[in-house]
Amino acid sequence: MATHSNHPPQLFLRFFRWFCHPELRRHIEGDLVELYHLQRVRAGKRKADIRFAIDVMLLFRPGIIGPIKSDVNLNHYGMLKSYFITSWRTITKNKGFAAINVFGLAIGLAACLLILQFVIFELSFDTFHSKLDRTYRVTNDRFQNGKLIQHGTITYPTIGPVMARDYPEIEDYVRIMPGGTLNVRIDDKNFRGDDSYFTDQNFFTVFDFKLLAGDRKTLLKDPYTAVLTESTARKYFSPDSNNLSTLIGKTFYWGLDPQPYEVKGIVSNPPANSHFQFAALISYSTVTTTDKDADISWTWSDMYHYLVLKPGTDPKSLEKKFEDFSERYFKGDKVTGSIEKFYLQPMRKTHLYSDYEYDFAVTASGKAVWAMVIVAVFILVIAWINYVNLTTSRAMERAKEVGLRKVMGAFKSQLVSQFILESLLITGAAALIAIILVTSLQPSFNQLVGTGLTWNLLVENLTTQQVAIIIAGLVGGALIAGMYPAFILSRYQPVMVLKGKFARSATGNFFRKSLVIFQFTASAALITGTLIVTRQIEFMNKAELGFGLNNIVVVRSPELLAYDSTFITRVEDFKEALKQFSSVTNATTSWRIPGDRLGRAFNIRIDGQPAETHYTVSHVGVDYDYFKTMGVRVIAGRPFLPSDHHANFEKLNTIIINKNAMHLFGFANPDDALGRDVLWGNDGTRKWKIIGVVNDYHQEGLQKPMEPMLFRPAYSPGSPISIKVQGANIDQTLAGIEGIYKKFFPGNSFEYFFLESQYKRQYQDDNRFGKVITIFTVLAMIVASLGMIGLSSYTALQRTKEIGIRKVLGASVSNIVSILSFGFIKLVLIAALFSLPIAYYFMNEWLQGYAYRINLGWLLFALPVIIVVLIAAVTIFFQVLKAALTKPAETLKYE
Amino acid sequence: MKNFTLGEFEEVVMLTVGVLYDSAYGVSIKMEIEQRLNRTVSVGALQIALKRLEDKGYLKSREGEGTEERAGRPKKYFQITALGKRAIEHSRAQREALWKAIPKAALHPKIVGR
Repeated sequence: MATHSNHPPQLFLRFFRWFCHPELRRHIEGDLVELYHLQRVRAGKRKADIRFAIDVMLLFRPGIIGPIKSDVNLNHYGMLKSYFITSWRTITKNKGFAAINVFGLAIGLAACLLILQFVIFELSFDTFHSKLDRTYRVTNDRFQNGKLIQHGTITYPTIGPVMARDYPEIEDYVRIMPGGTLNVRIDDKNFRGDDSYFTDQNFFTVFDFKLLAGDRKTLLKDPYTAVLTESTARKYFSPDSNNLSTLIGKTFYWGLDPQPYEVKGIVSNPPANSHFQFAALISYSTVTTTDKDADISWTWSDMYHYLVLKPGTDPKSLEKKFEDFSERYFKGDKVTGSIEKFYLQPMRKTHLYSDYEYDFAVTASGKAVWAMVIVAVFILVIAWINYVNLTTSRAMERAKEVGLRKVMGAFKSQLVSQFILESLLITGAAALIAIILVTSLQPSFNQLVGTGLTWNLLVENLTTQQVAIIIAGLVGGALIAGMYPAFILSRYQPVMVLKGKFARSATGNFFRKSLVIFQFTASAALITGTLIVTRQIEFMNKAELGFGLNNIVVVRSPELLAYDSTFITRVEDFKEALKQFSSVTNATTSWRIPGDRLGRAFNIRIDGQPAETHYTVSHVGVDYDYFKTMGVRVIAGRPFLPSDHHANFEKLNTIIINKNAMHLFGFANPDDALGRDVLWGNDGTRKWKIIGVVNDYHQEGLQKPMEPMLFRPAYSPGSPISIKVQGANIDQTLAGIEGIYKKFFPGNSFEYFFLESQYKRQYQDDNRFGKVITIFTVLAMIVASLGMIGLSSYTALQRTKEIGIRKVLGASVSNIVSILSFGFIKLVLIAALFSLPIAYYFMNEWLQGYAYRINLGWLLFALPVIIVVLIAAVTIFFQVLKAALTKPAETLKYE
Repeated sequence: MKNFTLGEFEEVVMLTVGVLYDSAYGVSIKMEIEQRLNRTVSVGALQIALKRLEDKGYLKSREGEGTEERAGRPKKYFQITALGKRAIEHSRAQREALWKAIPKAALHPKIVGR
């Protein structure tokens, strides 16, 4: 009997078999083995082994070694070809199902790709700064009477420098102060509307905006020097050459400032994914030369601060030290009238996770971004489930093929690879269609949603980590979706199948049902979400604002109008001339217009209240036409009169408050407030007599609560003029207004907008989110319905004999339709009910971001359930009806 | 005339196949050469030579029986073809011509003075 040790060394034998040319292998192996045995008898096992190994090694030479592609691979290739052909045949045999599969997946993938572009762009904000992970914004919360009164990014000019002095872990800091819009005069040309910021010299060490021209050492150093972005510089100076350094040293005049500003540097336009967008930077020293306070004030809070921490610093522990800092410099509420708390916001979070007031950053809702990710995943999973369901439901059809293949000697692994190849084919085709879809639909999508998404944007901003996640997700999902049917189908026992004793397993059925439930739970939740989002947007757009938004044209203030003793007369003359127009009903000037964030005063009380009382209110200066023009109701007292105004601000002494301010000050009804004095200014000694109380109105969009407000009868340069117009011919009215403007303010540029569109810009993000979620919900529903069509028609097909027998025994068409559809409708109904708590939780959360929001009534939840069941019913109905109408003779004649 | 090329080892293999006549296969050829010529022959060298000779058409092969000590693998028996016969004959003739051409003195070195 041959024992194990009688064999030559297996390792070498295997090696030999692997490399040897197949034609030579058998007899050479025979020779080797024979020699081995001879050698063993002659010289013993050890020697024989060694001899064998040497022989094998010496055989490893050209002439003996087989072709590089071993025969194993060759055979596989042939098999793959065969798989490909059978896959192709199966696909073409069931064109309808293949189409449903491919298109369902394609739509899912396309939706996913679009969302991916959007999400990746949003996530890429500020990543171009090299010190991003160490850079923080100082944020400042202010508390009064234990209540948060301001949650801001603006704070005092001293914060950055003093913190950097007190805490060695701060490596660098920069201050930024909004400079308003630039009104620039160069020779005889005027330019306006570009956002400018005053900023410290460290700007270019903290941030990585690319400098195109200029000397880094002198940038933003001296007063009256500027750094312009490339596009601003080109607009101002229209240089002949591409060499921007020729523009260094050019000068421009800003507004009424007699001092020229010198261009010291040109910076490339801020990338679209920068939270900080600017057109021009002016040296901070420009402010400090005219107003020392811009360096030393502990009460002037208009500055934004960015700190760069030394590597390895824990921001949390630094943040803790700010309590001391606040106590040291602000001494409770002694300095500013409010308790000051300071925090560090990572710059990485500025774009997506900011909910601050007075923020200049380009912000978006991080929640919305992640909601989109969830939607994308939902749609993709729904599409994959379709694939799994459609493929496994066809198991019956494929079972015979599988059985036969197994009888012919196919291994399970071969069957699995066949089915995986099939799913790869379908996924590949779907991916191709998806890419074509996205590329062709991108422009219309961008237009509809108001984005500028491109493939480039996606490719440029992807990080390797994101690429890894995406590829892992897509490939992993595709593999799982392909793998499951492959394993199910390849599992069948050939004897059972070929005997015809084939039953669908109960677990498989249960699994398929759970998948359908998941699909429709996701769809129903999305529908509920869409419904609530669109309802909220509609609510905001139609809400009663407390003032008249329509037919108001806002003209920007003349930039070359200086404030002097004649200012009021000149503005009033202009208004008077406007009112001569029959189509102009009224005109007013105010510091801010509805939709703007107002300034706040923090140290206010009513005369007679104890000195430690502090109230915080928003305030605005308006003229006597304001309430009438805007349609704000005066509920007590009187509106302003021309006699309340005075060119000298110090002589103003009347004030109007809104209802919220009245409640804040502790008056039960408006008449109690009338005639009382508000103490505001000059260290709490200046008196303002309350002459009127107005209704609350939505100064800001419905996301924000209505605040206590004070109105003062003050004019100011830079105040826009709001004009209430009427009549159909708006173009003619506008032309008339422009004519008068040009006459009154020659040399100024005329710019206008409609208050309504400006105000509604506050809802831009919400509108966009609403549109996007609607589009993708519809897509998700289409994909889920496609799956439903496929599944229901196959079930109907499988039950044709049952239907035939039922009909023979007297069942009516409606009977059969209801029998067939009941199972599906039940599933969809369960799914819809599952979706309710999920949708309620998330939508309730979402609505918390709105100060004024719709009620989540039962109808908002009942409707999606009805919609989903209806859509499912209609999709199923036609499939089922076809089966129910088939004559029994046709289905049963073969039995 | 066709140019017959035979290497030294190839010629040895050809001749040994001739010697073994009907029982020439890998192992027997190897043993025969090793015994007669007192040199070791590696399986690799032998197989390459056999393959090359078969490719040239000097040898033909047939598949034989597989025995137990060969783990059932068949033997491959070799036979000299007509072309092969002419090739070794040609080689022999060339050698003989060369032998004849050698002057007697060359083979008696003692006569030649150093």
